[in-house]
Amino acid sequence: MARYDYVEKAVKVTRREFLGLMGVAGAILWTGAYVATDLVQDRTKYIKMRAQGIYTDDAKAKVRQSHNNQAVMDMYKKFAHNPLSELAEELFHTKYVDRTKLV
Amino acid sequence: MKGFQSQEFTGIIQIDRKTCKGCDSCKSFCPSDAIEGKYGAVHRINSEKCISCGQCLVNCPFGAPKDTVDAVDKVIAKLKDKQVTVVGTIAPAVRVAIGEEFGMEPGSLVTEKLYGALKQAGFKVLDTNFTADQTIMEEGMELIAKIRHYALGEPSEHHLGPLPQFTSCCPAWIRFVELYYPDLIPNLSSAKSPMMMAGALAKTYGALEVWKVNPEDMFMVGIMPCTAKKFEASRPEFSSAAHYWQKQGKTGNYPDIDVVLTTRDLARLFKKLNIDFKTVPEFTDKDNPLAQYSGAGTIFGNTGGVMEAALRTAYFVITGKELDVLEFKPVRGLQGVKEASVTMKDVKTGKDVTLKVAVAHGIKENVRPLLEQTKAGKSPYHFIEIMNCPGGCVNGGGQPINPMGTSWLDKAKAVLPWS
Repeated sequence: MARYDYVEKAVKVTRREFLGLMGVAGAILWTGAYVATDLVQDRTKYIKMRAQGIYTDDAKAKVRQSHNNQAVMDMYKKFAHNPLSELAEELFHTKYVDRTKLV
Repeated sequence: MKGFQSQEFTGIIQIDRKTCKGCDSCKSFCPSDAIEGKYGAVHRINSEKCISCGQCLVNCPFGAPKDTVDAVDKVIAKLKDKQVTVVGTIAPAVRVAIGEEFGMEPGSLVTEKLYGALKQAGFKVLDTNFTADQTIMEEGMELIAKIRHYALGEPSEHHLGPLPQFTSCCPAWIRFVELYYPDLIPNLSSAKSPMMMAGALAKTYGALEVWKVNPEDMFMVGIMPCTAKKFEASRPEFSSAAHYWQKQGKTGNYPDIDVVLTTRDLARLFKKLNIDFKTVPEFTDKDNPLAQYSGAGTIFGNTGGVMEAALRTAYFVITGKELDVLEFKPVRGLQGVKEASVTMKDVKTGKDVTLKVAVAHGIKENVRPLLEQTKAGKSPYHFIEIMNCPGGCVNGGGQPINPMGTSWLDKAKAVLPWS
């Protein structure tokens, strides 16, 4: 009978070395996580800054409701009569397309 | 090609094969699973599925997806042609982002500078915020008619679509419904988006009453934070102004919006014309009726903005009184789906009516459950606002890229300087 003796190559790591390796692995993982979260924060930060710019535009506006925009009301008076009028339907409303049926 | 009408732009967003690293980042932002190619291999966009929102473009760490429709030189040629009246219509979200392309802080509100720069370049202005206000009148009245009919039993002269009513301002969302949820088409508000209303209005009322020019000699430029607007403008049904004039005996066939420039495109145009945006004289355009807008018109650029603007007007029309506090906090902020309800006393019947609304942004994550619920007939809402891009148009696919000066690559370089 052939003796089949397999001994796995022993890797000996002392407790001190093990801690060191864990430290290196941890640092690599942490760097990755840091880069990722930082990027997400940057993205949200600029969305928030632009959104704030828009809300500032609203807050400083003298007129803040659409129905109080005199220029829009003048346009209806002079031209389109009133919302949902026949002319308004013709110029300012539309229909949609079922694109699953377009080949 | 499937899913397109004739003359419509296809393949607005395409991935540059040489730049793509196959990292799959784009796939994690694509709302319609239009990006094909395995991890590590060069990706490509299936334009039949693509809704041209450009989220892949603004989020790719390598800048591989490109916007292939470039109208900058065409607009410059029209600006030089003295026969042509070039009108720019500026979306709300452009005025808080274009400064970034000229080294200003993100979120800087530069409306007057933008008017000034447009004037110097030779544009007339029809602010999209004006037609945003008009959209509230059209879309809001449609909603109020439905509420009065379905909730208060008022008879209706018009044919009214079912509730909930979905907003129709976001062209990427519209194409998404048409492609993937055609059953819900009747729920869409029939009102055109503010940009398309601006096109039809400029070439009728604008030509007639404001600029007194021949509509055939007008060139309408949509200035948008959005790549999907390029698709929207190319839809063949949007030539209402030409049809209007044909009925009055004029000839000529032209689209309502001739071309669309993104915020990035407009910044390039100013640079090509040597207009220094930082030092350009400010201009208020206060004598131009079509540049007047309310606070409600401007908040369209944020997620929840259309809803907030609509509630301000709906409250007034239903109760006959103005809202005491105009800021409607429940629909603000970056939460994926926001909901609210408002109880109002109907001035006509004296009955109480409770309006239930929802706001969702980011089709990728937040929209499908709402659509499934509506399709199953179980939606508790009357009005639902949907924006494709996370955060709304301020984060649109046509906006400046990496405004904090921290592209993903540069960030990696800061940490790994040898890469």
